[in-house]
Amino acid sequence: MSGDAIVVGAGVNGLVAATYLARAGRKVLVLEAKDRLGGACQTTWFASSFRGPAIAHALTALDPRVVAELKLARRGLKFAVRDMPLVALRADGKHLTNGRDLRATARNIAVHSRADAETWPRFRRELFELARRMRPLWWSDGKSEIPSEIARLRRLSLAAWLDSRFESDAVKAALAGDAASLSPLAPGSSLLLLWRAAQEMCGLQGAAAIPLGGPGALVDALTAAAKIAGVEFRSGAHVSDIRVKDGAASGVVLDSGDEIPANVVLASFSRAGLLATKAGRTALGFSESVALERGVSPAASAKVMLALNAPPAFNGVAVPLRGRFLLADRLETFVAAHAASRAGRVPQELVLEVVVPTAGDPELAPLGQHVVSIRIGPLPRHVAGGWDAAKTPLAAKAVAALDRCASGLARHVVAAQVLTPDDIAARYGAEDSCAVTVERLLSDWSSRIRTPIKGLFLCSAASEPVDAVSGRAGRIAATLALREGAAK
Amino acid sequence: MKTPLVRATPFHARAAAANLENAWVLRNGVTLASFYSDANSEALAARLRVAMADISWRRRIMLEGARAVEFLSKLVTRDAAKLSPGTSFKALWLSDGGGVRGADAIARYGRESFLLVVSAPDLDWIESSAAAYDVKLRDMNDEGGIAIVGPYAHATVEAAQLTADLEPLAFRKLSWRGIDVTLSRFGEHGGYEIWCAPDDGTVVWDRIARAGESFGLEPAGVDAMDVLDLEAGIARPGLDYEPARDGHASEPSPVALGLESLIDPDHQSFNGRTAYLAAREREPMRLAGIEIHSDIPAPFTPLLLKGRAVGHTLCSMWSPSLRRAIALAQIDVSAFAPGTKLTLTLPPSRAVRELRTAEARVVALPFLKVPDSIAP
Repeated sequence: MSGDAIVVGAGVNGLVAATYLARAGRKVLVLEAKDRLGGACQTTWFASSFRGPAIAHALTALDPRVVAELKLARRGLKFAVRDMPLVALRADGKHLTNGRDLRATARNIAVHSRADAETWPRFRRELFELARRMRPLWWSDGKSEIPSEIARLRRLSLAAWLDSRFESDAVKAALAGDAASLSPLAPGSSLLLLWRAAQEMCGLQGAAAIPLGGPGALVDALTAAAKIAGVEFRSGAHVSDIRVKDGAASGVVLDSGDEIPANVVLASFSRAGLLATKAGRTALGFSESVALERGVSPAASAKVMLALNAPPAFNGVAVPLRGRFLLADRLETFVAAHAASRAGRVPQELVLEVVVPTAGDPELAPLGQHVVSIRIGPLPRHVAGGWDAAKTPLAAKAVAALDRCASGLARHVVAAQVLTPDDIAARYGAEDSCAVTVERLLSDWSSRIRTPIKGLFLCSAASEPVDAVSGRAGRIAATLALREGAAK
Repeated sequence: MKTPLVRATPFHARAAAANLENAWVLRNGVTLASFYSDANSEALAARLRVAMADISWRRRIMLEGARAVEFLSKLVTRDAAKLSPGTSFKALWLSDGGGVRGADAIARYGRESFLLVVSAPDLDWIESSAAAYDVKLRDMNDEGGIAIVGPYAHATVEAAQLTADLEPLAFRKLSWRGIDVTLSRFGEHGGYEIWCAPDDGTVVWDRIARAGESFGLEPAGVDAMDVLDLEAGIARPGLDYEPARDGHASEPSPVALGLESLIDPDHQSFNGRTAYLAAREREPMRLAGIEIHSDIPAPFTPLLLKGRAVGHTLCSMWSPSLRRAIALAQIDVSAFAPGTKLTLTLPPSRAVRELRTAEARVVALPFLKVPDSIAP
């Protein structure tokens, strides 16, 4: 079997890239190391009758052009929830709901601070306006002008930025929840919030959404689109190296020793992952290799799914169950959690992001029962004693923390599935990520996607400015590959 | 031990005695005679008779490790696997972006050991890159090096009872009447180099001085050696051009420095190759020689063609052999042909303060070929 284009890894980006290439007339073969397609974006069964999101539980960055151009709606992509408000759960019951309605949000904020309630509409307008101006850089390949405000923001930590605008912990913590992949004290963390605001889901800026049937539904729609475009698939095929001839990719080598020739290879490797291959070691420059080896490894995360026999009920102020819930009282919680995970410890106060998938999509659980999906992060990638030993205490700690805001929740848990960073790496191969830095956030797409090897393009989440399910890396990698092919 | 204020070479005692003008210069942190009596006569001696020069300022690094070949093939622009022990080649090493970081000799000592001669310090880069290949670096800078150049260089080395039947670019470890030395032919001027332990410096100096006496040997300072380098048309890192130091730098380009001959087009795996190949077509500048119609050298000066800037000079000196000021220059391909008449502005001096323009003519490199060896 041979193809003139090979896509390594059938994650969202791989599927998107394969479809674009096939639609441009290329013969495309997708190689997936695991048995199932989708990578981290899957809906899995657990506790026999419950289904829930494997890793990603809400989509925040799916490229609207991918949705439109690949006609994903026609391939079955529907959304169960289109615009999830962010709810910062607080131990005192004064939860802060940050939704699309500016006035309602301002009223919510006024409970914590009048001044912040007044600042909020103005801040959000400015944030969204500036974020829209960043879209040429974050959404498309090509030279784009970076707004002058960025010169200031790139040096400013999120903590400093929010401190200069708001006074209440509740507001700062709620905003930091959208930029949690970096410590709020890290340079570039402001840009992370801006990047988040630049995204669009279901036509709404800065929204988060859940597909009907869970994130796996997105992969199903993409797979359908790919198959219609003529893409071939082979699963259980782990690629161990890229073949290079005269500085250009000439195929891939599988673990089994098989070689498949191709003149275009789009690989879901990060650059560090590429360096681990023989071809990458030869092709990547010394400066880049050294930087990659010395680079900071990104924080990991864990995933807990709970099956409940009753809907979760939060204490205090009523909140919409379709929201994204954030458990972090203060901005400092994020700072401490990042510091602990860098030091290889499980943070004392866990940062939790909680979604109730059954709120918008009751079919995921038996009638009247619910699924609660919890993302715990930042966490260290490795802990002393190993994650297997730390697994149960971690889950218990997360449930206990959630139980403080939704008393009785723990009693209703009938089953749970816990995935530690180790499990996630083993099951979904999502280890190949790369730390978010100012350079990565402000570099152009082609510098992240192109490699020194002609015909080899990288289209993993690590090629995005921020790790996310967006399909953009795949779309742009396919465009670059086709452009290079046309120039030949 | 306290670092001495003067970092002397193993030949310092003899050099100090020969240095009539007490003229010293610092190169790579080492104190060297800039000239002993007169730089011009020393340069002529190296051209017409024989001269010896202290070249201990060149950094020498031994690279050792099971993967040394693999590492060097990635580091430098030629394939180290093709090098047999006892021989060397000249090659470049480039940044990821294709900028020249260094250009010098790489000599194979053994199966897993190579000597790298580095004119401009670049140890951090080589060390951090070597770590990924488990290649260890060993500094050889304590050793002294003396170059013997000129038509009678061969005769001098023979007269000193050293076996001199070495091919260019070859080297050999020898026991020389009781002291261990390495005799090599890495240099560009057709001569020999003798490398010795620090304690043997004075012995080596004396033996060469005595052996060369009947051929009119003179010690030559740094200035005279720079004239030879210029006449040979070699652009040198740190002296003619600022070597790339940023890991991703694309400047200076090998094409614009006339260093492409040091890149093996069949060698696929060296660092910066992709960027070098991509930038090669776009590079408008070439390296050429310039003869200035004046006695005053004009280093780093713009060159004009009918009032339009077409390039600039690099190092410029008065050549005693050509009896005029010459310069290396980077010139746009449009004005690069030998014979093209250009103008430049001479630098003001103590005697002449107003700016004067002078004519300059593009000439092919090298200005002068290496003189043939003369048998006594």
